[in-house]
Amino acid sequence: MIELFDVTKRFGSETAVDGISLRVERGELCALVGTSGCGKSTTLRMINRLIEHSAGEIHLDGQPVRNFDEQALRRRIGYVIQSTGLFPHWPVARNIGLVPRLLKWPRARIQMRVEELMSLLGLPMASFADKYPHQLSGGQAQRVGVARALAADPDILLMDEPFGALDPITRDTLQEELRDLQSRLHKTIVFVTHDMDEALRLADRLVVMDAGRIVQQGAPLDLLRDPADDFVASLLGGDDRGFKEAALTRVEERMLPLSPRLIARARVHREATLRQALAVMFREHADRLTVIDDEDMPVGELSLRRLVGARPHE
Amino acid sequence: MTPGLAAGLRRWGVPLVWLGLLLLASLGMAELEAVFRWLEPDSREVIYRRTEFLTLLGRHLLVVGVASLLAIVAGVGAAVLVTRPFGRDFLPLVAQFASMGQTFPPVAVLALAVPVLGFGTLPIIVALLLYGLLPIVRNSLAGLQGIDPAVHEAARGMGMSRGQVLRQVELPLAAPVILAGVRTSVTINIATAALGATVGASNLGDPIISGIVNGNTAYIVQGALLIGLLALTVDSAFERLLGWRRIRFR
Repeated sequence: MIELFDVTKRFGSETAVDGISLRVERGELCALVGTSGCGKSTTLRMINRLIEHSAGEIHLDGQPVRNFDEQALRRRIGYVIQSTGLFPHWPVARNIGLVPRLLKWPRARIQMRVEELMSLLGLPMASFADKYPHQLSGGQAQRVGVARALAADPDILLMDEPFGALDPITRDTLQEELRDLQSRLHKTIVFVTHDMDEALRLADRLVVMDAGRIVQQGAPLDLLRDPADDFVASLLGGDDRGFKEAALTRVEERMLPLSPRLIARARVHREATLRQALAVMFREHADRLTVIDDEDMPVGELSLRRLVGARPHE
Repeated sequence: MTPGLAAGLRRWGVPLVWLGLLLLASLGMAELEAVFRWLEPDSREVIYRRTEFLTLLGRHLLVVGVASLLAIVAGVGAAVLVTRPFGRDFLPLVAQFASMGQTFPPVAVLALAVPVLGFGTLPIIVALLLYGLLPIVRNSLAGLQGIDPAVHEAARGMGMSRGQVLRQVELPLAAPVILAGVRTSVTINIATAALGATVGASNLGDPIISGIVNGNTAYIVQGALLIGLLALTVDSAFERLLGWRRIRFR
């Protein structure tokens, strides 16, 4: 659990972070979003003390971070940055084993852990262990970056725009993998991004920052439905906000049982999002869809009225 | 021949050939008497015999070695210090001092050093040290400052101490650039060390100075030949060393 109490950071006369309070529960993925220069990266780097806060308190499981030895603190917090920061003179396996080696784990244990992580992140040992970072693609390098951060099995992971430099397809894959990983590992993650779709997709909780302050925080759906002000609303996509909301809800949550009416020709999978269902309707010029399961069996139906959540009397 | 030895020979072949030529020339200069006689028909003596060439070579190497070692320690040390957070204020000062060292002609340093340090080896070592400092400081600074800030950030973020970052990350990454500076410095100093002969530091400059004083071209050629071969040997050895470092992680 990470707690920030009234934390402020000043650089000279400039205030980068202005008295923010924040609580990230154990196992929660908290996304810090905002425009560049809003203080989100500074906030992240204060947690592992790469930047020392000027005022307030930051606690890790109830302990002020200032009480920890700087290096010991960082060795128990995973850290992933946009440009990976892999050591160019070390092969992949050695890069991943960095923190366990700093913690003086026995060699055999490091070796085992590196193998375990490489298979977890889809990097076959045989073809990647001895490669140097410059021989990797952007996506592979960031996988190594994530593996390195997870190496000593930290409870907490700090990620500073980890997928910001990747092409859209690779970014999509890695976001999916991170979600998958998180559903198994349940780390406490603070994730900085300016990509709102990424934040909405990954976060359990969204924290919107502007000019060093927290403007609004809460579950993604709550923010989408009830943005605190125009800034949050425009950050969340302005009029496109509805699409983002639709992308957070699954078809099966809205579908109705099959009616006795003629079955609709256009079909959508039950785990698709409402946004995808809307796209199918648009493409098929249909206002009613048949919902199918993995075996292509119809399990329900979804009308346009039902999809947009129109109340019966309107 | 074992594969290791073969690979070693392939890598170090060129420097070894130069080294062979250097030793051959040092030991067998007298065999070339006919050539030097043709070059200098009027002199009584055409082969420099006051001191063995091998002895002169050894002294030459010693002077250059000591001066370069001091320059490396001082140069790399200064560059490391001024790239630490506490030493950053001194960065412009050190950079300037090193370039001043290079603009100061070694002859002038010798002239100023002799009254203070006396004749002999010491003043030439001081002159070479000052003269050789710039390429080492400049390259060390470039190498250390050229490291991707993200690598530095990650190293600190993973929980490496400043000493670990320096030893395991910064110095290995800057090594090729630093070595290139050392190479320039040492090669220049091999040639410049000959000036030591004018202040009584006996080395491969002796035949050259003696040749100038006595008007004996053969002496000059002999000194120049050996200095040239020494410079080529050392320079090609550095080239191998640098190429080998590059393959490892570029």
